[in-house]
Amino acid sequence: MAELLYLYGVAPAGKNNEAFSDLMGIDGEHPLFTIGFEDCMAVVCRLDESDYGEEIIEKKTKELDWIQEKAFHHHETLLKLRERTNIVPMKLFTIYQSQNRLSDVVQAHREDWNELLTEIAGKEEWNLKIYCDPNRLRGNIEKNHPDVLKKREDIAGMSQGMQYLQKKKLDGWIDQVVEEEQLTFSKQMHDTWNGWADRFMEKKIWKKDVTGKTEEMSWNGAYLISSENVETFLELVTEANDRHRESGWKIEVTGPWPAYHFVTLAKSEV
Amino acid sequence: MSIEHPTQSNSIVDVLETVLDKGVVVAGDIKVGLADVELLTIKIRLIIASVDKAKEIGMDWWETDPYLSSKAAEQSTEALEKENKELRQRLEHLETKMHNHTYAEKG
Repeated sequence: MAELLYLYGVAPAGKNNEAFSDLMGIDGEHPLFTIGFEDCMAVVCRLDESDYGEEIIEKKTKELDWIQEKAFHHHETLLKLRERTNIVPMKLFTIYQSQNRLSDVVQAHREDWNELLTEIAGKEEWNLKIYCDPNRLRGNIEKNHPDVLKKREDIAGMSQGMQYLQKKKLDGWIDQVVEEEQLTFSKQMHDTWNGWADRFMEKKIWKKDVTGKTEEMSWNGAYLISSENVETFLELVTEANDRHRESGWKIEVTGPWPAYHFVTLAKSEV
Repeated sequence: MSIEHPTQSNSIVDVLETVLDKGVVVAGDIKVGLADVELLTIKIRLIIASVDKAKEIGMDWWETDPYLSSKAAEQSTEALEKENKELRQRLEHLETKMHNHTYAEKG
């Protein structure tokens, strides 16, 4: 039976081939092993082509349970690997037809990967999302924003017809202030966090049907932080959460993650 | 400070957006055409949400229904086997007793 190789990531050389054999591969049958190259090693597992060939995967990707299970396996395995070695993580389903094919790819990218490994060594990726309860934020602005209070005072002195029109206008204006406030707040938070990060990548802001939350996402970013700065960074987040919870803000921090967002090879893609 | 590794259903977004979305380090030999992350996440989340919701309101009968759950089927087979064994033992016991009784009467 033809065998495929599933690539989890590339790590610095120096561990024996069985170093990760306690971890089970993505098919639940073949354990992980490493293939050494001069200065780096590929962390892989074998797969039977009859179960993971292109056509079969194509079919399987329509099964949501299956994708979810495999995505979590990939993710959890890389979390475990990350605790034991520096590693450039691959995306889900990075599969090669043979060891020769894998060797070709590793040889072609060896220098880039070594550079990346040096760059991410001793650093952690943390993800930060800011959520906002827009109603609470709006309520706050309605009650406390000096311009709103002033405008309302002006309106009170107008004729009834005029009051109606101006109130509508004020509502629209408050919507705008709410939106601006979300941007300003996120920007402000990000600037503080970014000061402690070595690199940063802005991520997509997901709608509520994706996040499944009642709050709106107003910021989503990945930060690469030196291990010695992580504690300060997390303290800043906790502090910001405590300070702004009342006004409807919630900051969610997750990590440390494998450095997924900081290992893209911009120059060359096979 | 709560620092979590996202493994719960509510962080499905975190995992999918990371392992699937953009930034391919290097392409494999096998091309995998996945629906876009957004759509996929919404679909998966809806399934999880509906299962969680069903459990919440006590609609978890399928977990104990042998027609729908192999685990339940196993359990009920085990129970039947156990009952069967107990009944056999009792029968044997009775038969022996009866036999002895008859023997005693004759003797």
